[in-house]
Amino acid sequence: MNMLRALALILLIALFAPAEDTPRADQPAPAKPVVVPFELLKSGHMAVHVMVNDKGPYLLIFDTGAPMSLVNNKLANDAGLFKGKMKSPFALFGSQGNVKIKKLSVGGQSAENVDAIVMDHPTVEALARALDKPLCGIVGFPFFARFKMTLDYKTKTMTLVPSGYQPPDIMKAMTSALLSPGAKTLAPAAQFGLIAVKEAGDQADGVDIKEVIAGSPAAKAGLKRGDRLLTLDGRWTDSVSDLYEAASLVKPDEKVELQVKRGDKTLRLSVTPVKGF
Amino acid sequence: MLLRVLIGLTLIALPLLSAQEKPAVVKSYQVPYKTTIPKHLVVRVKINGKGPFNFILDTGAPAMIIATKIGEKAGLANGEDGWAVLDKLEIEGGPTLTKIKARVETPFQLEGMNGLGMAGLEIHGLMGYHILARYRMEIDFTRNKMTWTEIDNSVPEPGRIRKGVGGMGGLDVMGSMMKSLGGMLGRKANPEISLRGLVGLTLENGDEYPTVVGVLENGPAGKAGVRKGDLILKVNDRTVTSVGDILRFAGKISPGQKISLLIKRKDGEQTITFLTGEGI
Repeated sequence: MNMLRALALILLIALFAPAEDTPRADQPAPAKPVVVPFELLKSGHMAVHVMVNDKGPYLLIFDTGAPMSLVNNKLANDAGLFKGKMKSPFALFGSQGNVKIKKLSVGGQSAENVDAIVMDHPTVEALARALDKPLCGIVGFPFFARFKMTLDYKTKTMTLVPSGYQPPDIMKAMTSALLSPGAKTLAPAAQFGLIAVKEAGDQADGVDIKEVIAGSPAAKAGLKRGDRLLTLDGRWTDSVSDLYEAASLVKPDEKVELQVKRGDKTLRLSVTPVKGF
Repeated sequence: MLLRVLIGLTLIALPLLSAQEKPAVVKSYQVPYKTTIPKHLVVRVKINGKGPFNFILDTGAPAMIIATKIGEKAGLANGEDGWAVLDKLEIEGGPTLTKIKARVETPFQLEGMNGLGMAGLEIHGLMGYHILARYRMEIDFTRNKMTWTEIDNSVPEPGRIRKGVGGMGGLDVMGSMMKSLGGMLGRKANPEISLRGLVGLTLENGDEYPTVVGVLENGPAGKAGVRKGDLILKVNDRTVTSVGDILRFAGKISPGQKISLLIKRKDGEQTITFLTGEGI
């Protein structure tokens, strides 16, 4: 099972290619925006300078496609992450499993108790060799999810502001996902009062409005039977389940836009769904 | 496979081309996203009018990588230089690019993730630097949309991909391993989706029980005789004290399935049973 888990972990890291070198200030996490420069590697990856428990700086790839952070064995040894931990001598890709990093700082922005795995990821190693850069790992979701981040490739900076978001435990989520029956019900979060259909073989954008229930929020918005609904709150509604999914994200009393094709005109209607079902 | 792309990109001098015309006005978009179970950011795209397809927003990828199956659907093939050219790429929320390069190839991660049903939705590719570098992206997990603003940035064309260079150190076999394991376990990339039925009631929390404050007369509950002012005591025999309870207990009732409401009015209590309808 541990082997399976280690293998599964690697699949999650959608690291496809590279990163390099940025100065940073080492200060406690301020609640104000911190502008962190990144190095754009030749491969198109972002690299940032990272302090691990005040050791470093180390060069890591900043990867929005990585659900976990990852550090190699060299960094882990250097930063003392193995203290009090038994190392497994036979490990695939040098995987030593999960560690909690007490303090991880990117630029001047820090996060505490950040989950990471210790592993010599072959793609990171290959990138390091190809680019001749001392890449030691990946900064992933458990760090960046805590911040509102603005990525700007032109100025080669990321701006990080703590958002209050608490990243969930990915390992737990994965374990329950693998045990789940793989079914879900899409439930609108509020009531609109419309019925939509998509005929078999209909490949065009949108769904057909089959009925607008009298007195409903959809009726008040001016939606009509025969309209073609293209988007709800900016989300494509190309199938009935897409429509339900979009509706599951709109709260009661939240005013959102419907983009509708009526004849050859495209209309934008405002609808405010109500609390109910 | 991955490394091949990587090396192709890194060992070749990249000519700097200013690929995009300057936008007259700074355009900003609200780009919706979903997350996978392990919390990848997923944006939806249409390629040459086909889709929508699910792509991981991935600063860890050099360019857009499109799974082979999807490439075929959209009529794409890698050219001489290893890249396919998309006539039109539409990103949900509005950003649109034309004549943009992408690689048609199935990364082992996708094969594995989809094969094991690990993501919770089928993933069709990765969206990396070559696309993302054209926008300033504001990502905030406390919201369910991102803000993308067009920037006047020179993004170099991706370099020629060499054939037969490098290897993944054994990683690439994992994708198919996990896929066959997923097959044995009966896992699917996409979960079975069912929809919750429509009832046609507007509700508010009351002192003790949730209250009906509006009824769609032509909706399922209205036709069955539920009235404005009714208190709802139970849904399918489960006691409810808030609107949240009702929505939770009724959360998996599909259109056409039965729902029972225990109603309290001035003249007493009664159970009203009817079939939910389709719709939202």
